[in-house]
Amino acid sequence: MKQQNFIAKLSRREALYGLGTGIGSLAFSSMLQAENIHSIGPHHPAKAKRCIFLMMEGGPSHIDTFDPKPELDKRHLQRFKRSGERESAMSSGQRYFVKSPFDFLKAGKCGADFSSEWHHLKNYADDMCFYRGGQVESVNHPTACYHINTGNRFGGDPAVGSWVNYGLGTLNDNLPGFVVLPRTSYPQGGANNWSNGFLPADYQGTPLRPEGSPILDLNLPTGMTRKDQRSNLDLLAKLNGRHFKERSKQDELNARMSSYELAYRMQMEVPGILDIDGESEKTREAYGVGDSKTDSFGRKCLLARRLVEKGVRFVQAYAGNWDSHDYISRAHGSLIRSVDKPIAALLGDLKERGLLDDTLVVWCGEFGRTPDNGVRGGGTSYGRDHNPKAMAMWFAGGGTKAGHTIGATDEIGAEAVECVHHIRDVHCTWLNLLGLDDNKLNFYHAGRYKQLSQFGGKVINELIA
Amino acid sequence: MLFRFFILLFAIVRSVFSDEPTAGEKLFSLHIKPLFAEKCMACHGDEPEKIKSDFDMRTRESMLRGGEIFEGEVLIPGQGEESYLYILSTRAEVDLEMPPKETDQLTDKETGWIRDWINNGAPWPSDEKIADIQEEYAEGEKVVTSKALSADWQNRRYETEKLWTYRPLKVEKVPEGKHPVDWFVNRRLKEFELDYAPDASANELYRRLSFGLTGLPPNPMEAKKFKKDFKKSNNALSVYALKLMTSPHYGEHFSRHWLDVARYADSGGFANDYSRPNAWRYRDYVVRAFNEDKPYNQFVMEQLAGDEMDSTKPENLIATAFLRMGPWEQTGMSVFKETRQLWLDDVTDSVGQAFLAHAMQCAKCHDHKFDPVPTRDYYSMMAVFSTTQFAERNASFLPSESKKNFDSFTGMIQSKIASYDRQNAELQEKMNRLKKEEKGSAKVGDNGLDPGDEASQSRIFKNLIRHKIELDRVQPLTHAVYTGKTIVRKNVQGRIDMPDTPWQEGYFDTDVIYSGGDVYSLGDAVEPGGLSAAESLGGMKVSPFPQGKGKRRLALARWVVDQKNPLTARVIVNRIWSWHFGRGIAGNPNNFGGTGELPTHPALLDYLADWFMKNGWSVKKLNHLILTSNTYRRSSRHPDSKSLNEKDPKGILYARFLPRRLVAEEIRDTMLQVSGELNHDLGGIPVRPDINPEVAFQPRQIMGGTASVYEPDPLPLQRNRRTIYAEKLRGLRDPFLEAFNQPGPDISCELRESSTVAPQALTLLNAEEVQDRALAFADRLLMEKSTESTTISRAFELALGRTPSKEEISACITRWKNATKTESEKSPVARTYPGKIKRTVMAEKTGEPYDFWEFIPAFKSYRPDLQRSETDARTRGLAHVCLVLFNSNEFVYID
Repeated sequence: MKQQNFIAKLSRREALYGLGTGIGSLAFSSMLQAENIHSIGPHHPAKAKRCIFLMMEGGPSHIDTFDPKPELDKRHLQRFKRSGERESAMSSGQRYFVKSPFDFLKAGKCGADFSSEWHHLKNYADDMCFYRGGQVESVNHPTACYHINTGNRFGGDPAVGSWVNYGLGTLNDNLPGFVVLPRTSYPQGGANNWSNGFLPADYQGTPLRPEGSPILDLNLPTGMTRKDQRSNLDLLAKLNGRHFKERSKQDELNARMSSYELAYRMQMEVPGILDIDGESEKTREAYGVGDSKTDSFGRKCLLARRLVEKGVRFVQAYAGNWDSHDYISRAHGSLIRSVDKPIAALLGDLKERGLLDDTLVVWCGEFGRTPDNGVRGGGTSYGRDHNPKAMAMWFAGGGTKAGHTIGATDEIGAEAVECVHHIRDVHCTWLNLLGLDDNKLNFYHAGRYKQLSQFGGKVINELIA
Repeated sequence: MLFRFFILLFAIVRSVFSDEPTAGEKLFSLHIKPLFAEKCMACHGDEPEKIKSDFDMRTRESMLRGGEIFEGEVLIPGQGEESYLYILSTRAEVDLEMPPKETDQLTDKETGWIRDWINNGAPWPSDEKIADIQEEYAEGEKVVTSKALSADWQNRRYETEKLWTYRPLKVEKVPEGKHPVDWFVNRRLKEFELDYAPDASANELYRRLSFGLTGLPPNPMEAKKFKKDFKKSNNALSVYALKLMTSPHYGEHFSRHWLDVARYADSGGFANDYSRPNAWRYRDYVVRAFNEDKPYNQFVMEQLAGDEMDSTKPENLIATAFLRMGPWEQTGMSVFKETRQLWLDDVTDSVGQAFLAHAMQCAKCHDHKFDPVPTRDYYSMMAVFSTTQFAERNASFLPSESKKNFDSFTGMIQSKIASYDRQNAELQEKMNRLKKEEKGSAKVGDNGLDPGDEASQSRIFKNLIRHKIELDRVQPLTHAVYTGKTIVRKNVQGRIDMPDTPWQEGYFDTDVIYSGGDVYSLGDAVEPGGLSAAESLGGMKVSPFPQGKGKRRLALARWVVDQKNPLTARVIVNRIWSWHFGRGIAGNPNNFGGTGELPTHPALLDYLADWFMKNGWSVKKLNHLILTSNTYRRSSRHPDSKSLNEKDPKGILYARFLPRRLVAEEIRDTMLQVSGELNHDLGGIPVRPDINPEVAFQPRQIMGGTASVYEPDPLPLQRNRRTIYAEKLRGLRDPFLEAFNQPGPDISCELRESSTVAPQALTLLNAEEVQDRALAFADRLLMEKSTESTTISRAFELALGRTPSKEEISACITRWKNATKTESEKSPVARTYPGKIKRTVMAEKTGEPYDFWEFIPAFKSYRPDLQRSETDARTRGLAHVCLVLFNSNEFVYID
């Protein structure tokens, strides 16, 4: 078993979220020290100190949100056939174009494009930076989610939030640096989407579950009182103390003892942090908390603000499922409405509190959607398949170019054609805004130094103010 | 005469002044050119149409010309310090550090070469001359490999010490009467002038031995006997080691080690996470292999090519599941050629890591950066598998395979299917009734149907497929491969039948190098083969592998276990060593290349590898050899910790035994064993233990909807089996095991990690499963009807393998009494287990939540473990003490 290096002075957070410093790295620690090529950031002055990643799982359609394609009105329901060795069953066969069921409007001084379903967010058009040049590789949900989240299409690599915390460390010793707010139902690919991968366990995303116990086993078991537990911990301390006396050089024993005291405190402190009842009625209303249509994501957005305010470095909130192969007008319509008000409130709130300038907000899914749909069951419907070549993405705050739309897709939204970048470049840009250099943020694993972009990428300067 | 003199003189002058390379030429040929090739050319010349910043480093002229950012000032012959080539390489210019990647940065020595080369006029000899100079002057060692993508790589030289793994074993003689392990270990300790720790106590030793060989705590009776024998005889450890290795639990424990490497799981991962219903037979095959002490060379051969050896033997077919263990799926959304390529890459890499300690993926897109593994070798090894195809093959059950619970499992799945069928019929009836013709040209959902019903239909449809696949679990089928042509499969849902004529339908995969790793970019043709460096440096005599319809895998298997293969025995011996000592002699059991840690005791590794082969590749014999060394016996506490820290800060000299934390599976198994609940049955279909109920009922998305809830097996005896038998789903990990660092089954795990995080404390304090174990433990103790202090003593004996001190007894009794008092004020109620639950998920077609009922047949006949409501306050009071014991450091750490 690999044993951890012991950190002589444990910060609370290290003890709380792990002493596993040596994990995976011990084998190479000597080499790292010898060559001194392993550095942790920040690598340059950061524009953003923290990040909120609004993950629109399922693949929102750019064509029906922020990237109008009037050409599709002309081609609506025109049929064509596609085949070839490189096409999947989904993308081949009889197909037809589908126009957007939504009207579009121009918002803000910058005249950004919004589909008519966005009623609140459009007020922040001038704070947002839209990007239409992004491309990914995979058309499968789990692999594409892994790709957006970890830079690698296969599960097992560290998530962006893990890398960022690995690079920047924590702002609050009492809380995990990377918090995930998943939907009740975890995304395809599961918890691997916020895994610490080969990085030490300290950097794993901590999901705060929307129902039941927010952190697994945080609540006392049935029939156990706080007092019972305290007495048990006191006996435990006694037994451990005697055991430790003969093993005083075995530091991990001591560390394990403090992890119990911290677990005990966590049980009391975490629920308070998650309790949004303390927020004013006005605030809760603004986020859409209490309204069944917006409550779920509204809570996440409000919680995200509370968490970054308390010093959580990276919060990821999930909304979805945007996988609208059919009935796009209904499905995307209600999804947009479920996130519109909460996100608008979040941006407004961050702005009001002076947090938006150094908080990077990222909104995207794992891919975009096609301008066309496949004939299924002999019929046609308003719907779209998966599209890795064009997608919707926007940023706000954190040093991004507010009030701009960067890049473009072709006239039907099939493919990005201007300022086109692979998702790895988006990752590099993301890290760059947070003061990290993808090329310097690396970790030795399985025979080579690994990094978020996998083999390096470039910063998309057009996105940076 | 004079003329001739001149000619002679001319010849001499030529040899001195023209042929003799200048310092600059030597620098360029030996260091600069290879350095450029390794660090610069990827962006500045290898791809002429994609040269970065217009700076072309292919010729002296183009370098003198400069690029976009710097022109003539890049390379000013004679002025090293002023040339930007040098300045940027020292990383002095912010944002223009070259090479850009921090991990690629040049050392001071390397930048010094650049400076000196420029100062020497930046000479650029002809390719011919470069080759001459390299031949004559280069340091390091050349390695003969198949053929590199570039000539530079082919002529590369390696640091001699980093090639250790390719060389033939160097076997030193060990003096008569000396234990080889101690001989080598103590020799090294002497070099460092470090004393070793005394023997561990008999108690500690037996606990170490028991966990090390079986993953279970010592049986108290056996421990007592050992203590007596250990005092009497120096041979006791040997005797008890042999004894423990005859226990079937030995195979269970050792299989866990191997299954970590093989990435065992019972499902395929990704969007559907379909069950691999027959994978369990491979798991049991591995358990059997260790228990029967199957010679390792045979174990390797069967996993790589069992079917090609003799496909009439079920065991041989079962073994090949190794080749399909990685995550994989093919859905309608993916292109078959690409997903097949993902598997080919995966199998090439995992065979490399598991058997040869080579991360092959590093050579997929370019010749290996550090090791003598050209890209050609990668594709040669991949070509071994290009005629390997998936199938669930017929393989009748062996007498040694357990068929227990077949009927109850099938019954449970069938009632699940029946409940879905029933729901589906009701739904269909309702939909038929309500369905309306849609208006307009395209469907928008105004078909009169409840979109929740539509979503349910697709969810039910998908779950029916999922459960029907599970029914194959009890069929005499095995997760296997065959040799034949590739058949395009657009959507793989469950069983793949073996074609009658494997060479008829389908196509031959092209055996070529895929340029840049891109499956659509065809390069040179390759032939199936192994690692060329191992052949040349190891002195292997190799005959060419068959091609076409030949048995390619069999050839690879023979190549791997060839007595002269320098890698194989070293790799497994190192693994086994690491299983006993917590670290390998070579620090990275999956990577023996130049970037892996060099062996700390190379002579020992070679000795053991040779010994292992000479002793019939017997794992048990090797275990015995290791366990009977004094090195293994050492105490985990060193009397002189100061010199220990000074002389061995990394703990690699074996002056003491490294203590370790139990791994996830051991913690769970030990709690069950101690509480008396562990069912010691061997093998059989995967079991479904209780897991955190919140996770069990949490919806998880799969393609087309939400997967059925996790249903535990109904009976305690079914659930409370060793963890190795717990169903391992890629998409639904047991949070208890995950918290204690059980690795995910997607990547090969060379060695378990051990971190200390607060969620572990929360789990051990609060999880329902742990509470249940503590209660059962208390109940077991009280059944023995003895005094309070004897009860506590017995608890310590079972949980910690020792007798408690007086203070400990009194502290525990006090806690017990107080807890009994508070417990007597509580009146616990029995837990309830719903036959159906209401679940809420999002409908894809509306983006709105909808509710549905799911039936849980398992709960119809579910018998919970002992519950609080069934026990008295005294038992519940004692359970608090038991819980504390489970949480103690002594419980989870072994000396």
